[in-house]
Parts: sequence; C-alpha cells; structure tokens
Amino acid sequence: MTKKILLVCAGGFSTSMLVEKMKEAAKKKELVVSIDACGESSLESYLPADVIMLGPQMGHAEEDVQEKVGGNIPVTVIDMMDYGMMDGEKVLATAMKMIGA
Amino acid sequence: MEKAQNFRNKLQKISGIIQKNKYMSSISNGLAAVMPVLIGGAIFSLIDSLNLQIYQDFLVSTGLKTLTSLPAQVTTNVISIYVVFSIAYGLAESFKKSGFAAGIIAIMSFLIVTPMGKMEDQTMGISVQWLGAPGLFVAMLVAILVARVYVLVLDKEFYIKMPKGVPPTIEKSFAAIVPSMVIILIMLAIRGIFASTAYTSIHQFIFTIVQTPLTALGGSWPAFLICVAATSIFFFLGVHGPLVVYSVMGAIWTPLQIENMTAFQNGMDLPNLIVPAASLMIYAGIGGTGATIGLAFAMLRAKASRYKTLGKLTVVPSLFGINEPLIFGMPMVLNTKLIIPFVGMPLLGAGLSVVATSIGLLPPLRGIAPMGTPVVVSGFIDGGWKVALFQVLLIILSYVIYYPFFKKVDNQEYKQEIAGAENAEVTA
Repeated sequence: MTKKILLVCAGGFSTSMLVEKMKEAAKKKELVVSIDACGESSLESYLPADVIMLGPQMGHAEEDVQEKVGGNIPVTVIDMMDYGMMDGEKVLATAMKMIGA
Repeated sequence: MEKAQNFRNKLQKISGIIQKNKYMSSISNGLAAVMPVLIGGAIFSLIDSLNLQIYQDFLVSTGLKTLTSLPAQVTTNVISIYVVFSIAYGLAESFKKSGFAAGIIAIMSFLIVTPMGKMEDQTMGISVQWLGAPGLFVAMLVAILVARVYVLVLDKEFYIKMPKGVPPTIEKSFAAIVPSMVIILIMLAIRGIFASTAYTSIHQFIFTIVQTPLTALGGSWPAFLICVAATSIFFFLGVHGPLVVYSVMGAIWTPLQIENMTAFQNGMDLPNLIVPAASLMIYAGIGGTGATIGLAFAMLRAKASRYKTLGKLTVVPSLFGINEPLIFGMPMVLNTKLIIPFVGMPLLGAGLSVVATSIGLLPPLRGIAPMGTPVVVSGFIDGGWKVALFQVLLIILSYVIYYPFFKKVDNQEYKQEIAGAENAEVTA
C-alpha cells in the first residue's frame, strides 16, 4: 500500500516547494509514496495519512493535531533547518523513519 | 535559556489561540474569500484607468468605457454584501452548521438594517452608500451575530415540534423557519432602535462611533510601524508574524484598503495616506517579512556554500515576497546576529514611505495588487511608476543594509565549513 505523507502548514507556498523536493528525492530513491500539503483547517479532508509533518511555525499546533488524529498517526514538527534549506531528502527520511516506527 | 524557551512557547500558544479563535478567523477567512470578486473588479479598474490618451479615447468612442468601469461598481462599491455572506458562512461552518443558510440569512439581515428608499422614478432603491467600504464593520458585526444566533438556535433545538405522524421532511422545513424568524426579530429591533436615534441607522452609528476612530487608530503611522516591527519580531521568535498581525488587525485594515480601492475606481482622490495591508507588502516587506530581498541577493555570492545554496533557493520566491526558506534556513529565527536588519530594514522602508507619502512625493496606495504580486510590478499596479521606482530604491537599500551583517555571518560560517572539511580530511 502506498504510504501517504501529509505536510501541514499555515501559508502553503513554502510547503509546496518542499513537497516538490521530497517527490524528487523519493523518485531518486525509487520510493513509492504520495506526498501532499494542506492548511491546518483543511486537515481532516486530507486524512488518512501515514505520517503528519508540521511546518516549523506550526509548533504550537502539534498537540491539537495529535488529538485530532486520535493518536494513531505519528505527528512531528519538521526540523527548522531542514525546512529552511528545503532539504527534501532529509525530510523524506524523517517521514519514512516515523512511518516505520 | 529556559526562560527564553518558555517565553517562546507562551508566544506560540497565544498566537495559536488568536489564529484558532473562531470569530477572528471567520473574519480573516471571510475577507480573504471575497478576493476573487475584489480582484476581478480591481483588474478592470486598471484596464479602465490606464493613462494613455489614445487608449482612453478609444474606450470612449467605442462605448467600451461604460463597460470597463462597471465591474468595480458591482464589486468594491458593494463589497459589504459579499463580506456579510462570506463571514457568516465561515463562522457557521466552523460550528459545523450550514454555512449557506447562515450566509443568506446574514444578507437578509444586513439589508434589513440598511436604509432603503424611493428613488426619483418611484421605484425602491438602496443607496450604495452603506454597501461599500463604510458598511464593512456593520457587515462583520451582522455576519457574526447572525451566524452565532443561527448556531445557538439550532443547538438549543428551538424548533416547532411537529406532532407524531408528520413526515420528517416537513418538520425539517419548519425547523429552518425558527432561526430565520428569531434573527429577523433581532434585526428589526436593531433597525427600529437606531432609526429613533440621531444616527438614523446602525450603519451611521457604527461608522461614526466605531469604524472611523478605529481605522484612524489602526491606520495611523505609529500603529503601522509597530505592526511592521511586530511581524519581524514574531518571526524572530519562530511564530508566523504576518499571519498573527493580520488576524488581529485585518478587520481594521480592510476598510482602509477598500476605501482607497473604491476612490481609485471612481476616479476620486485616495483618502487614506497609509494603507497598512498594502504598504506591508509593497514597502515594508519586499522579499518577504524583514525585507530580506537584499539578503537573498547578497547570498548568491556567499563564501559559505550553505548560504550560496540557500540564496539560490530563496532568490526567486523572494521576488514574490516569500522567504520562509530564509527565515527557517538561515535561520532568522533566534538569530541575534541578523535581527538588526531584520527589524530595521522593514521599519526603514515603512517609515520612508510614510514620510514620502505625507509630503506628496509618493501617491497613496490603491490597495489593488494581490498578495504575492512580484515586486516592482506590485508598486506599479498600486501607485504607478513612482512607487515602482521607490521599490527599486528599497531593494538597493535592503542590500546595502543587510550586506555588512551578512558578511560577518558568512565569514563565520565559511570558517566553520573549512574547519569541518579539514577535520573530515584528518579523520578520513
């Protein structure tokens, strides 16, 4: 089953750039995953997902998101530096680790 | 260190609460949702007003002129009607009730409290006076009141209970009557009360007592500059500055923007010297929060390879005012070495623009350019070539101001990179 990675952000511009980079990285590694991005308010319509990753400025929402997804989906805040450098490979690796966990 | 972290967490929590507050977010989202209508009208007002004599003569002679000036009249001039639906819709939906029903009841309510009268030809008409920018605050209040009462009535299950045996669909359609009737009663009461006062309508009352002073305060230069500084400081603490500031100030800033838009589209003088919503994008935040455009350019020739990469990554989005990669990648967050230009450059841009506009060097902004319009283009759209030229000057200024700070940081990073490489060689 294709694993689904969901990025949650406030604005959406920068997250969509990161999604593109992650898709490139996934292609290189020949990983079949689906990666999507959404705003916090539309989160529910994008579920289910195998891992939820929040943009660094969404740190305050981590608990609420965990509650919303009922604790079955791993939730994490993307490392600030990885996000800033738009490091698709690193963020993808983090996502895969969390899914495996 | 502990204290700083705690403070940051508190700030994130507070900004989270502000952003999540249903009322505030329904206002900001409601205003944002009418953008397609506004932008449509705005683009046509540009097409309508292009300052080329041959072009204008062409428009008049072919009769197109009456058409091109129309969209603005049915959008910006009557924006309050769209807003009332939009905000009521959002608020009701956030309580998981039918936004559509709340929305149309809200439009009805807005019309109940808006003066209607007989025109010269004896047909009934509504003056557009209160349907545009001056009616915005009432639109927001009515939308929130209506949506909230609607939700309340449904929650308390105040509906006419039908006797057993009546089909559920009939009960449902009767159920929809109650919220509507309750709200009509409230609105009639409001209309009646205000009609008997010196203000004659709630519109006049709110406009005089609330909207005018609040927007004057919110659009004053001290308030504006504080907000500019706040957007940078919030990002310094890791919180999305513009989002928070806009959630709080959006309701007050929007009438200012719409007033200038309306004036521009009707060929009148622009009333507001400062349009914070527009100025934030056009003057204070070129390249994104912190006016980082100069920094992005400087990074293209960085010594440290990490900064070079970051620069290449950020330079194009910066032209559109997006700089999250810089904010989180530099990072600007908690970066005391770059905070001076991060807060100082936007303040400089904002301050210079305020002075230049008040002495008439620059025209007031029109408020037309949508968020994300590339720099220079945005200036041209919103104020003509003078503003566009001013933006170019601000870009250069941003580079000049950021450069010394960046050079220092770059040298340090470069040294670290070399040391790291040497260590790697040694251990290899």
